[in-house]
Amino acid sequence: MRLAYVIVFLIGMAAILSDHLASPSIGRAVSPQDFAGACAPCGAPCPSKK
Amino acid sequence: MTTVTAPAFEPVAARRDWLFVAAAVLATALMVALVLIDDQPASAALLVLGFGLGAAFLKAEFSFTASWRRFLVRGEAGGLLAILLLIAITAVFVVPVAASWPHYGGSIAPIGASLIIGSFVFGIGMQLANACGSGTLYTVGGGSGRMLLALAFFIIGSVLGSISLPTFLNLGGLDPVLASDYFGPWGGLAVTLVSIGIAALGVFAVARGRGGGTVPRRGFLIGAFVIAALMVGVFFAGGHPWSVTFGYTVWGAKLASLAGFDLSRFEFWQWAGPKHALSDSLLGDTASLTNLGMIFGAMAAAAFSAPFARGPWPPVRSLLAAALGGLLMGWGARLGFGCNIGAFVGGVASGSLHGWIWFIAALGGCTIGIKLRPWFGLAVE
Repeated sequence: MRLAYVIVFLIGMAAILSDHLASPSIGRAVSPQDFAGACAPCGAPCPSKK
Repeated sequence: MTTVTAPAFEPVAARRDWLFVAAAVLATALMVALVLIDDQPASAALLVLGFGLGAAFLKAEFSFTASWRRFLVRGEAGGLLAILLLIAITAVFVVPVAASWPHYGGSIAPIGASLIIGSFVFGIGMQLANACGSGTLYTVGGGSGRMLLALAFFIIGSVLGSISLPTFLNLGGLDPVLASDYFGPWGGLAVTLVSIGIAALGVFAVARGRGGGTVPRRGFLIGAFVIAALMVGVFFAGGHPWSVTFGYTVWGAKLASLAGFDLSRFEFWQWAGPKHALSDSLLGDTASLTNLGMIFGAMAAAAFSAPFARGPWPPVRSLLAAALGGLLMGWGARLGFGCNIGAFVGGVASGSLHGWIWFIAALGGCTIGIKLRPWFGLAVE
């Protein structure tokens, strides 16, 4: 189990770093709720707007 | 012939697993440095608050899943009452601030079939996996290989849920119902606290009627206060109540994209928020920041007190339950707009009706999940 953790840790950190460095320069951290029309934490629209 | 016997009491320092303590602290420090380079102190705060949440959840053994199960099986209400206290403390800050200050908002969600079906399925999954969204994070961080598997399937289920969600939303529903929209910031808070009080009285009455206890254990109660304080911190740093499962969805979507799947053709990933999250850095997503901090906080706390991840793998049937539970939670969380944290705690603490509906439907799902546990060799209690 310990070996599994070491592997997941190394792959996970490599993925986070490469994703961060390959992504556009980030501004403020956001949630999908910050976007106009979002009606849920995942950014789903309101039923009345669909 | 000589016999070597292990000392009866091993010094605490000897049991510390410095490799994993250092790995957790350094990983968090590295991510904090990366967001500070981009001049994002709020992101750094979310990572650090997540780290604190991971340590607090692990040390208090703060489990929504076990608390709900004890209530349903034995009428034992101490844990559930402590959870309601946590929500009440959080609501004191979230309801008035979200209703009054720009750039702050509560956790809201539409009310309809998607919410009910999703939270019910989530309830089944959380009893099979033996953890919910936050529980998965801190047990993964705490060294449970079984929960590593649950997390992997949670992520898969969450991506599948993102593809399913628009279809279920088309079944219809109501726009979010928020107490502060009807009663103002302070009236909304009063209504929210009264609703929590009524729920607590109901839980108390059921426990008394079934002969169950109503006093949470001391560590759990302290955990409720500490976690509430950290959740308020997450709210002020991120602008919204803490949420967990959207982070899983983004992680899964990024991995799927890496594997060549084009998710952008699905409606969910055309909505502004998910579309932005898929193209931006993980460290630009509030849920991912707290999730990562929480995993490493729990890892540091666990490795500081005992050798890390030294236990054997559980039986295959238990692993199957973890995988199935994770899958159901992931799919259910997307349809139900979150987990215990984002939908129940965040929703109720925001004065949003969907939080209570989520709770009732998930409690129903838990009763099914508890009945299924023996099939996988898991104890009912």
